[in-house]
Amino acid sequence: MSKQELSSAKARNESAKRNRRIKAAVQWVLAIIVVLIIVFPIYWMLVSSVKSQEEILLAVPTLWPREFHFENYINVLNRGNFAKYYWNTAVMTAGILISQVVTGIFAAYGFSKGKFRGQNVCFIIVLGALMIPLQVTFIPLYIMMANWGLSDTFLGLILPEAVSPYYIFMLRQTFMAIDDSYVEAARMDGLGRVGIITKILAPMCKSTLFTVTLVTFTNGWNSYFWPKIIARGEKRRVLTIGLAQLQNTFAGNETMNNHEIMAGAVLAVVPVIILFFIFQKYMLTGYSKAAMK
Amino acid sequence: MKEKRMNPRKVSAVKDFICVVPVLIFLAIFTYYPIAELFRISFTDWNLLKDTWQYVGFKNWQWLFNGSGTRYLWNSLRVTVLYSIGELTVTIVGGMIFALIFNRMNKAFSAMRAIVFMPKYVAMSSAAVVFLWILNTDTGILNYLLSLVGISAVDWLGDRNTALISVLMLTGWRCIGYGMMVYLSAMMGISADYYEAASLDGASSFQKFVSITLPMLSPTTLFLFVTTFISSMKVFQSVDILTQGGPYRSTEVFVYNIYRYAMVDFRMDRAATVAIFFFVLLLLVTVATMKISNGRITYDS
Repeated sequence: MSKQELSSAKARNESAKRNRRIKAAVQWVLAIIVVLIIVFPIYWMLVSSVKSQEEILLAVPTLWPREFHFENYINVLNRGNFAKYYWNTAVMTAGILISQVVTGIFAAYGFSKGKFRGQNVCFIIVLGALMIPLQVTFIPLYIMMANWGLSDTFLGLILPEAVSPYYIFMLRQTFMAIDDSYVEAARMDGLGRVGIITKILAPMCKSTLFTVTLVTFTNGWNSYFWPKIIARGEKRRVLTIGLAQLQNTFAGNETMNNHEIMAGAVLAVVPVIILFFIFQKYMLTGYSKAAMK
Repeated sequence: MKEKRMNPRKVSAVKDFICVVPVLIFLAIFTYYPIAELFRISFTDWNLLKDTWQYVGFKNWQWLFNGSGTRYLWNSLRVTVLYSIGELTVTIVGGMIFALIFNRMNKAFSAMRAIVFMPKYVAMSSAAVVFLWILNTDTGILNYLLSLVGISAVDWLGDRNTALISVLMLTGWRCIGYGMMVYLSAMMGISADYYEAASLDGASSFQKFVSITLPMLSPTTLFLFVTTFISSMKVFQSVDILTQGGPYRSTEVFVYNIYRYAMVDFRMDRAATVAIFFFVLLLLVTVATMKISNGRITYDS
């Protein structure tokens, strides 16, 4: 290579390097701006939740609270009856979670490793249910539940969500990917269906199982539509509904108590956000995994 | 003799079937039966406030397509379509742009990606009350910030021209990170060979994006389109908390329309009729989008 060629290659290399550096800088700047915008509502919720009533009504909002009023949280727990909503939400979520996991795992096994007549038809029935959302069926469901005396009860909150076609579908796909020889070998060793599920399939699909279960938990905890229909009274009100109703519960001007409403909002999201930070790896892929399959 | 030998296999099949029976029973009672009920109710004059009801034939259908309900049906259809377009744009275009911005593999960027994705996990009701507060006309911080640059206060939720935009702001905040993550994980699946080959041919970054990244992401885009479109048609919660369908029904999406007939007016007959219409619409959209997505996909060989 001649000297000239070498130097021109060097120059090209240098300009490419410069380009790359500019690109990185632009990415950094844009990313930081985006993050600031996205994080702002969460930040605003947190700081507003510890401000005094006086401070939230200032004409010029303060970015950092002058004094910290943690008693807002106590007030909202007592006045807004939030402790009870917490309990109701926790029981409802646990109920939905347990029933979806148990029914889902067994059904997924039946559809992937089982063999029986009409298997395909049965699976189509499950898939078809994906196209019938609660937003369509809630009227007859509400009447049915009311007739059974299940309005304002945990059972009423849980039953329509007790089976998830989505969960079954996801698990079935995962179980299908596991070679039948594992199941056959376990059967030779005398394992029954429960044994095969708990000792072979579940451990082998741990991460998917965990991810979809986390999504199920979040969906249950954050559910709004059905609880609003079936738990119209105070007795079994859940957090999401209670929060939306705080606006009305506090007498007077709607903006007067925003510091306490924000405290309620923080209380409602804390469990899921904690989970999000602990299991970030799973939760980040949770939805996209659902997407790819 | 022969039957006895067949038995173990039969027993096994029955046991396999038993695994799926609970699910089938549940879906029959809580998903399929209500659909049948819905049709029945649509032929009655069932008002929850009255003690009796009777079958009235196609009266409700007439009310819906050629009566006092028609106006509100088209209105909610229009609002829902506008909302869907908004959510689709944010998820697909916004998600793609965000994916390009955040497509850098180091610790800082992975932390920032997590933050951008986090709103998806913030309960909609918490997010909605925060946005109510941010968008408040008199004391909200958005109007304060706008006043700093000389824009006078906007009645975000009370003005029929901005109410739907406000709802979409909340939706966008929650969905854009999801679009980003889906695109990013798909981008990672694109083989680096394509880009190297293009570089050798002297392609610019923009050319590479248009001729490699975009086509390779088309299955992802279609996936996002189909799922987001269908889920956006079912929007309810953000509207319920932010605007209750108002002002002047300018944010009354389909589900809110049904909800209002059923749980505010207690007209189960009318609510059921609109619900069936909505159900058929959902089915049509699902089938249509599935049809489109077949055959228009580029696969990485």
